[in-house]
Amino acid sequence: MALTNDDVLGIADYARIALEGDELAQMTAYMNDAVAMLEPVLAYNLPDVEPTFHPIGDLSNVMRVDAVAPERDLARETALANAASAKGDSFRVPSILGEGEA
Amino acid sequence: MARSFDELTAQEIAAGIAAGTFSAAEVTAAALDAIAARETEVQAFLQVTPELAQEAAARIDAARAAGEALPPLAGVPLAVKDNMNLVGTRTTCASRMLETYESPYTATCVARMLAAGCIPVGKANMDEFAFGSSTDSSAFHPTNNPWDTARVPGGSSGGSAAAVAAGMVPLSLGSDTGGSIRQPAALCGVVGMKPTYGAVSRYGVVAFGSSLDQVGPFGRTVADVALAMDALVSGGRDPYDSTAQDVVPGFAAAAASAEDLAGTRIGLVPAFMEAEGLTAEVRTGVERAASALEAAGAELVEVDLPHVDAAIAAYYVIGPAEAFSNLARFDGIRYGYQEPGCTNLADQSARSRAHGFGAEAKRRQMLGAYLLSSGVYDQYYYAAQKARTLITEDYSAAFARVDAILMPATPHAAFRHGEISDPTQMYLSDMYTISLNIAGNGGISVPVGLGADSGLPMAAQLVAPAFADERLITYAAVIERALGRAAGGSVLGVAPAFAGKGGELR
Repeated sequence: MALTNDDVLGIADYARIALEGDELAQMTAYMNDAVAMLEPVLAYNLPDVEPTFHPIGDLSNVMRVDAVAPERDLARETALANAASAKGDSFRVPSILGEGEA
Repeated sequence: MARSFDELTAQEIAAGIAAGTFSAAEVTAAALDAIAARETEVQAFLQVTPELAQEAAARIDAARAAGEALPPLAGVPLAVKDNMNLVGTRTTCASRMLETYESPYTATCVARMLAAGCIPVGKANMDEFAFGSSTDSSAFHPTNNPWDTARVPGGSSGGSAAAVAAGMVPLSLGSDTGGSIRQPAALCGVVGMKPTYGAVSRYGVVAFGSSLDQVGPFGRTVADVALAMDALVSGGRDPYDSTAQDVVPGFAAAAASAEDLAGTRIGLVPAFMEAEGLTAEVRTGVERAASALEAAGAELVEVDLPHVDAAIAAYYVIGPAEAFSNLARFDGIRYGYQEPGCTNLADQSARSRAHGFGAEAKRRQMLGAYLLSSGVYDQYYYAAQKARTLITEDYSAAFARVDAILMPATPHAAFRHGEISDPTQMYLSDMYTISLNIAGNGGISVPVGLGADSGLPMAAQLVAPAFADERLITYAAVIERALGRAAGGSVLGVAPAFAGKGGELR
């Protein structure tokens, strides 16, 4: 069943990408082409095959010593330097819940 | 007699500096001069870094003057794909999202090349966030193929491949998630290697598909690529990348051992050689490579990879799903483009992402978001990971019979800018490379000459079992020696329109 513009708007909301103008129709066309291209993979939903999530099959959790690694710590000014808005020692964000003071 | 530094391999540059024939400062000046003379037409770089280069060269020359032993790639100019952090440079991923992002630390792969003595001359152009096969999706400018500037260099590591092909650097680093090293290497007539997943640290490389991404080198000769591989793996497993594995640096030795292949079995996949979309000239090129291996004593054996047909579909489930997950971090807060004037966080994220990302980056993330959504996930994601199991088993079965497999790297020569406009058609550019990212084993693209029809570079791809990457170097060196212009020389050399243009080394 083909995805509609409304479906794609819902995905865009989930993906936090605001589609504008012609973008919605173009994205819907692309999504339907891409999903059609993926069709062959559905034949591999085989009950007797185990999925491989990682190319190094026997890799399990890799743990490190629970110790501070100062050589990896970013200085606070370095961490803040790439932020578009910062105040004091913090990243600055607008209201999370609604229309608040930016 | 004056000559351009582009006639020298990385190996020759390092040897010349060690012997005092020329200094690292002179080589660096020559590389920057070659970039100045060639870059307008090629546009391989997003940032050229003369100060970093000159500082690194001065350190090499001071070390030599002090009588210290020089590292193996001392004074060799290096270009780095712009998804790799290097302190003192921006790391933009060719995206408006990261246009002003300053590298806060240096990626392990870059640090290891610098520790081996390389001179960082700049950051190379790429498809935005590595989504693409042409480098045309860079937010800043396209890169032109040095063999025909009306054509693409391939992608996503197109700038890294073009910089080497145009003779601006002898070595560069790229990353390969579905073919992004091997495909541009093939289209630009240079050697490009994707090692086994886990062989090279990804720490400090902007993530695209975390179960697929791997870093590797480009060079004009197999021996140079081998030296770069030794530099990338020496120092052992990087504790900062939990997927990194210990690999013994035996690549240069593997290149030097390329002689008698008696007792070696090389697989050919008949279905690949007869595939729809494969051009006759690429097939002829791969056959030349097969003949070269056979002449060196290898036995050619037919093998089947029956599930590899599913690789593209599996990849375009796994890749976008992982990309969506990885690129969720770009919310405009800690780094990246931030839309001004938004009054709540969700709106700020959605509009920062809408205006920071280009079209293909949005498409991949939208596809990934859909594939990971409730109800869809069970159908596609598990199927793709089961296809991955079967593809991996295909390779295991084949490698029980052969030491390596020879196949095309790409179905066709470099295409013109804009020639492939349909995104799902573009995805087929990676039909021969993508299954290795799914299975995790390594591959190398090696030039085999110019195509009879197009006059453009042709390549063959060698594929080895996981963590048997040194075989790729040995067999590629045999092909290079048989088809190359001179012993130890590259098959194609610098693209003729750029060879010797600037870069004079006194």
